[in-house]
Parts: sequence; structure tokens; C-alpha cells
Amino acid sequence: MEKWDAIVIGAGNGGLAAAAFLAKEGKRTLLIERHNLPGGFATSFKRGRFEFEASLHELCGFGKNAGEGDVRRMFEALGIADKIEWADIPGAYRLITLDDRKKTDAAMPFGVEAYIEKMEEYVPGSKPSMKKLFALAEDIAKTTEFFGSLKGHYTTQAVKEILKNHLNFVRTAGYSVNDVLAALKVPKSARDIFNAYWCYLGVDCDEVSFIHYISMVRTYLTYGAVIPKARSHGMSSAILDAFESFGGEVWFNSHVSRINIENGRAKSVTLLDGTRAYADHIICNASPHNVFGKMIDQTDVPDYELKRANSRKFGARGLSVFLGLNKTADELGIEDHSYFIYNTVDSKKQYELMKKIETNDVLAAVCLNRADPDCSPKGTSILYFTTLYTDDAFRDVTAENYFKTKQAIADRMIINFERALGIKIRDSIEEIEIATPMTYARYTDTPQGVIYGYEAQGWDGIVPRIMMEGTEETIPGFRFAGGCGTQLSGYSSTLASGRNAAYKTLNDMEKEAEL
Amino acid sequence: MSRLKVVVRSDFIDMVRFAKMIPIRTAMIEKAPNYPLPKSYAVNRTADILHPREQKLRVKEISEHTCDAKSFVLESAENRPLAYFRAGQYLSVNLRIGNAVLTRPYSIASSPSRALQGEYMVTVKRAADGFASGFILDNWEVGTEVSVSAPEGNFYYEPLRDAKTVIGIAGGSGITPFLSLANAINEKTEDAQLILLYGCRNEKEILFKNELDTLAEENDKIKVIYVLSDLKKKKAGFEKGFIDSKLIEKYAPEKFSLFICGPKAMYEFAEGEIKKLGIEKKYVRFELFGAANDAAKIKGFPKDAVGKVFNCTVKVKGDEKTKIPCMAQESVLTALERAGISVPSRCRSGECGFCRTKLISGEVFIPEETDGRRIADAKFGYIHPCSSYPLSDIEIHV
Repeated sequence: MEKWDAIVIGAGNGGLAAAAFLAKEGKRTLLIERHNLPGGFATSFKRGRFEFEASLHELCGFGKNAGEGDVRRMFEALGIADKIEWADIPGAYRLITLDDRKKTDAAMPFGVEAYIEKMEEYVPGSKPSMKKLFALAEDIAKTTEFFGSLKGHYTTQAVKEILKNHLNFVRTAGYSVNDVLAALKVPKSARDIFNAYWCYLGVDCDEVSFIHYISMVRTYLTYGAVIPKARSHGMSSAILDAFESFGGEVWFNSHVSRINIENGRAKSVTLLDGTRAYADHIICNASPHNVFGKMIDQTDVPDYELKRANSRKFGARGLSVFLGLNKTADELGIEDHSYFIYNTVDSKKQYELMKKIETNDVLAAVCLNRADPDCSPKGTSILYFTTLYTDDAFRDVTAENYFKTKQAIADRMIINFERALGIKIRDSIEEIEIATPMTYARYTDTPQGVIYGYEAQGWDGIVPRIMMEGTEETIPGFRFAGGCGTQLSGYSSTLASGRNAAYKTLNDMEKEAEL
Repeated sequence: MSRLKVVVRSDFIDMVRFAKMIPIRTAMIEKAPNYPLPKSYAVNRTADILHPREQKLRVKEISEHTCDAKSFVLESAENRPLAYFRAGQYLSVNLRIGNAVLTRPYSIASSPSRALQGEYMVTVKRAADGFASGFILDNWEVGTEVSVSAPEGNFYYEPLRDAKTVIGIAGGSGITPFLSLANAINEKTEDAQLILLYGCRNEKEILFKNELDTLAEENDKIKVIYVLSDLKKKKAGFEKGFIDSKLIEKYAPEKFSLFICGPKAMYEFAEGEIKKLGIEKKYVRFELFGAANDAAKIKGFPKDAVGKVFNCTVKVKGDEKTKIPCMAQESVLTALERAGISVPSRCRSGECGFCRTKLISGEVFIPEETDGRRIADAKFGYIHPCSSYPLSDIEIHV
């Protein structure tokens, strides 16, 4: 019987980071992945002469200089920061609404100063409140850094420190984005533009935690954003390469069907083909709904896990359209890298419209050539659209009407993009691929094709999740990494979740060795 | 910390909101039911119907053609719905021939709607040097159970990308994806015009002539022209010679997409002819034709490697390493299959990436035209064994 120090189930961002940080500390680690590639959502695929990025729009938390930004520090720790070629994203975003009567069109830059200045141009008089907002953002960043330094140990001393020196955090932590913006007297039009990133978190600004949102916006604006030139598959491959160079072993095309619990402790996993692998420590990149629904024997599932899972709402389901165009971005008139195109700037209304296929016109568009001009052959460009569904909108789509449904959605997205920008792209489509909730379900097995883990609704937001993290692990030797966890979804969050899971597991190993 | 003081409602209310975050979340979880969680979800079930890992089928009917070819009607052997597909896609068939384990891609000749009724049809023609085609023709009988993949491939009509009129250029058994498309048009699953230029040596070699004639007769969106290289006399509905640019122009409307499927020799000829038409790349689609059986014929293959045999050390997950012989002129995949080592593979043309494998050491030749690897895979030492040929002893991890 071969026994590993640790087994990591799933090679998504969370699983990869967890495995790499375990192996780096010399732990004999087995990483098991059902697909034939690492990365989960962080991957790429080829059609014709184009290689498409599968999911990443822009990576935040990766500054320009050594030691800057959490993601960069992680890659530096693994020795791969310079093994990945990065391209800078030129501007923050362009927000356009499809509402012709009240059309919003704002192109926002990176850099807090520049952002505030641009906002003043669009919304005269917004400057004082925006300055206050970003000063608050700095305070909150200091608090979250302090939280990070605690590594999950919330001592009385730490709580005292928070209540003494981190009061702006404390006073805003219980509120949504719109609550705090209103309190700061940010003008309505400036709020509309500022809230544009909301779809990255998948919850409207009446609901999503201010702390969560402002931390993300600050990270984007302060450090800018990048994209790996070899697509996110380049990143996944580099992490896997580091993992293997530390002695880790990976099994692809291997589907873990069971996690076996013995005397209350996770002890081994069983693959679909019957192979069994043993370890006292298991980190799992799969959804808790799958783990407690079908991978663990029902008699071993703690009641708390069922209640917790049943209390939550799934995060957004994704749909993306990938276009290889036979003209350049200049020729087509695509000026920016990232677009948020909405029916309305009212995120709450928009969230409701996103529940159904018929009413959802949201599209977050990326023209990859604006970050990396050489990402496609000369004379061509790559454009991709993503939308989110805030409900199980594909539930009733059958195999028979599947192709027609996704074509109709892509068709409407193309129309909307053309209308928003006042340009024509349709006749230039050389390659097209459409990924739906079914596609995400197929490759990652997330329930309903969810790409955002559990929704960051008010009560289940990032702050209470972090504060309760230490008390929520119910099976010794077993923990999660990835988008369903404390830090929620997104590249930087899931990578961090994997590293943190590895650290906690290393900690457990140390403690157990002392016994 | 800045000297800024932010208050949302009031000092007191803000503090209470903060203090209540944990109790509220705890209460929300506590009041939720402890029902068992679903084992599956509608979207995941549909995904599984569309993309099953494997489909176990059984031969239901066999019909013989006049030119050493047979069509096999397949049905589920496990009482499952067959995966729906887009006309033009293929099934990767898993075979065990002697000690060898291998796959072969065959286009689905029947229409998508027939899959909903529980049937696929594939047509196999005996290839001159064919290892798998001969085996299938000589061994598959009614009742034989076969394992195939989900429908794969990108050789299908896409209205968001292609012209309204498709000119299909078919050679020999390359007619099968077009037969599927013609039926899909006739059944209104697809909305396109199809003009089929079907090249064969003589009338005897034409597959599905009756079906094609009937389709063309019944549906004015479908037109079929047989192009026979051995034709002696003029004959209505037939053209003599090869499918060249002049012939395409003769039947083409102003705007069209060209879809080409046939033997490799036809591709080489067609490529030159299509160039003369000066149409945009987006309007030309070639079906994959499989990697070369003999790499020595590929442009750029190092001459000094011809005839050499190398050792290939293989490690499949968890297993001990095995050493197998691998000829320079044959793909690494073929060597693995001959040795009875089962590895994933589908398109066998370098494109789909299903066989992606890590090259630990050694050197391989990868033809430029079938190098379908991702940028990062090339950088981090991965190969697609189906289109990689050893130039030294190699070690791979599957």
C-alpha cells in the first residue's frame, strides 16, 4: 500500500497552489486531476490558428515590481514568477450600457489618481467623495494585511488591536457597497461607474460586501492587471512544473469518486477505475456540494456540512463566446481591452435580469490583442465575451436544443457588442466557440456549471467567512481549496486559498508529529 | 492609518452590524435543513448526455457497399441515450486487435436527429495499408459490442461563422460528414445550402448514391455533382476529371464556405486549387486526415533518422516504467498502441490534444502542420504523441 503525505484532489488554481506549496516543503504529494490538463478553469484551447484563453480576463494582485502583490509573492515563493511571460493590461475598463435613452459610456484608467481624475471628468464634483473613498480603501487594505498576519489566530490581543486601530474597517464591514458609497455621498453617476466591476464578484452592489469589493478595486487600480502571454494555461503549467520539480506526482485522466473516512478522519481516495491512494491529509479542490453529496459515505457526512451547504446559494454560472477574428483590433475599431456592457448601470436590476437567458444582456468583453498584440497571427485578433447567470438558467436546456440555444445567445451577444461600440465584427469571425454551463460542468463537474463557488450574498460574504474559518473544518485531515472557500472565487483568491490550505495542512502535520 | 473617520449609519449601529456578522451567519446555517445534497443536477446530467466519457454501443445492422466498404448502424448497448452531435463530427472507436489497443476516428454518416432515436451510422472503407479498417470489416458482426467516445471534432457548419452556402468537396469515404449534413438540412436541423462536389474514380466507388440523389431531388437546398476521374463519356449529373478551381467556380454562388473531406492526396491537390480562388481563410475548412503513417514522407523529417528504431520508456500513472521499441517513422502513439499500452487519443492528427503527454527526455520530430500544441505545452515539454516521431531514445509520462 503506497501512502502519500498528502493527496490533493483537483488541479484547479486552488489544488495546484496547495499541491505546489506542500511539495515545496518536501511533502510527498499526489495531485489527482480528472481532466488531461492542469488548471481547471485556468486553461486554454485551440481552434484553427487561434489559441483562446478559457477564462481569465485579467489577473490582479500582480504588481510591477518584485514583492508587490500577493499573487506575485506566491509565484516568487514557488520560483516561477519569471518563468511566465506577462503582458500588462492597458486600462481598467470601459463601461457601456445598452440603454439608448440613458447611455453610459466611460473608459476608466488604472492608477488611483488617474481614476479619480477621470471620474471627475465624467462626473464633475465627484472628486472629494472619491478621494475619501480611496483613502478608506487604504485603511481597509492595512486591516486586511493585519488579518493576513494573524494566519487564522484571532487572539484577544488581536481583537483588541482591531477594535482600537482598525475602526474604519469595523464600521464598514457590516455593509454593502451601496450603503457605504451613500454614506460617503458619492454622486449617483459616479457610483454607477465605480460599481462596474461588480460582475467579477457576481453579486449586486446592494448585496455584496463593501470590504470585498473595495479590496478588489483597490488592488486592480493600484497594481494594475496582467495576463500571462501563454494564456492561463501557461500559469497552470508553470505551477505544475514547480510542483513536479519539488518531487510531486500528478495523475491526469484520473477521477476521484470517493473520499474514504475512517474513524472520523479522511484516510484515502478511490478513483473511478478502482485505484486507491492513501494519505492522512487530503486537500480538495471540488465543490462541497459534490463532496458531501456524492463523494463521502452519507453516514460520514457531518450534519453541519449539510446545513451549511443547504443554507447557501450557488454563485454565478458562466457562458463565454470566443472569437478568432480575421482583422486587427484597429481595423475593427475595438479600442479597449476590457469592456463591461450592461443593460443597466443599476446592478440590482441587472442581477435580476441575469436570472434568465431571455433577459440577460450582460457581457464582459476582452480583446486580448490590446494587452498582447502578438497573441494571434498577424492581421487577426482575439475577442471573448463572458456573461453570468444568477440562477440555474440552463436547467431546462436539453441536449436536443443545446446547440441552437447557445448559438442564439452568442448571436445576441455579437449584436449587443456591435451596437454598444457602433462597429461591425460579424463578417470577420473566422473561429467561434461557445462555452456554456454544460461546458463548465463537463470539464470541472461544478454543480449546475457554477463558476463562482457560493454566492457572496450579504450574510455569507467574505468577512464573516474569514472570521469563522477556524471553526468550520469538520473532518480531521480534510480541507478545501478553491473558489468555494473563504476567499471566494477568482484567480488571485483561489490561488491564495490553495496556498493557505497548504500552510494549514503543514501546520497540522507539524502538530501531529509532536504528538 | 489615515485620520479619516468613516461612519455609515452611526458609531453604535456600525459596531452592532460588525458584531452581528458571525451570529447572523451561524443562525442562517443553523436554521437550514440537514437534507442530503443532490447527487446530480439537470445541467450536469445534460452535459453528461452531450459528452459521455465513453459510449458502449452494439452493431445493430450492417449494409455492404460496392467498393469494399460497409456501413454499421450502432445502438446503445447500455440503454442510454446516444450523445447528440453536430453533422460533421466523428466518433473515436476503441479497438483491441491482437495485443494492440488503439483508437480510430470515424465521421458519423447518419444525421443528428437519428441519434435522438438511438442510432449512429459509421462507414468503414478498406484502406490499402489499413490496420483498423480491415479488422473492422472482417470482424464486426450484428451484435458486436464496441466502445466509442462522445462525438468530437470541429468539422461542422456554424451559421455564426460560415457562409449560407456550403460547397462540400468530398473524396471517397470522405462523403460521410456531408451525408450527415445533407440529412440535417433536409430534416431542418441545419439551415444552409449544400452543393456537394463528390470525387471518385468511377461510379462503382460512389457511396450512398441513392440516398444522395433522393436528397437532392427532394430538397432544393441540396445539390450533388459526381466528379469521376475515369469517366469515359459525358453524362448528366456527372463531371469528368478532378475537383479543380474551375469546377468549383462553375457551381459556386457569390459567397460560400468550402468544406473538404477526403484522402490526403486530394487535400494536396485541393489546397493548390483553392489558392487560385483567392478566398478568405475563414471560408475554407479541412477535416483532419490523421497523422502520416510514414513520417519519412513529411517535409522536414531528418533523413538520417529513416529506418532507425529507438527505445521509448513509458510511465503510466503509478505504474512501473516499461520500455518499448519505437520506429522513427511511426508516431509515438502508434508504438504505444502496438505495445498494448492504453493511452488517451481521439483525433490522431495532432489537433485535439487528448493524448497530451510529458516528454521527460529525448528528442522528437513534430511536423509543423500537425503541431496543435498549446503555447505553454510546447514550452513545458509536452507532446501530442499522435503527431510526434522519435529521433532518439525517449522517456514519456502518460
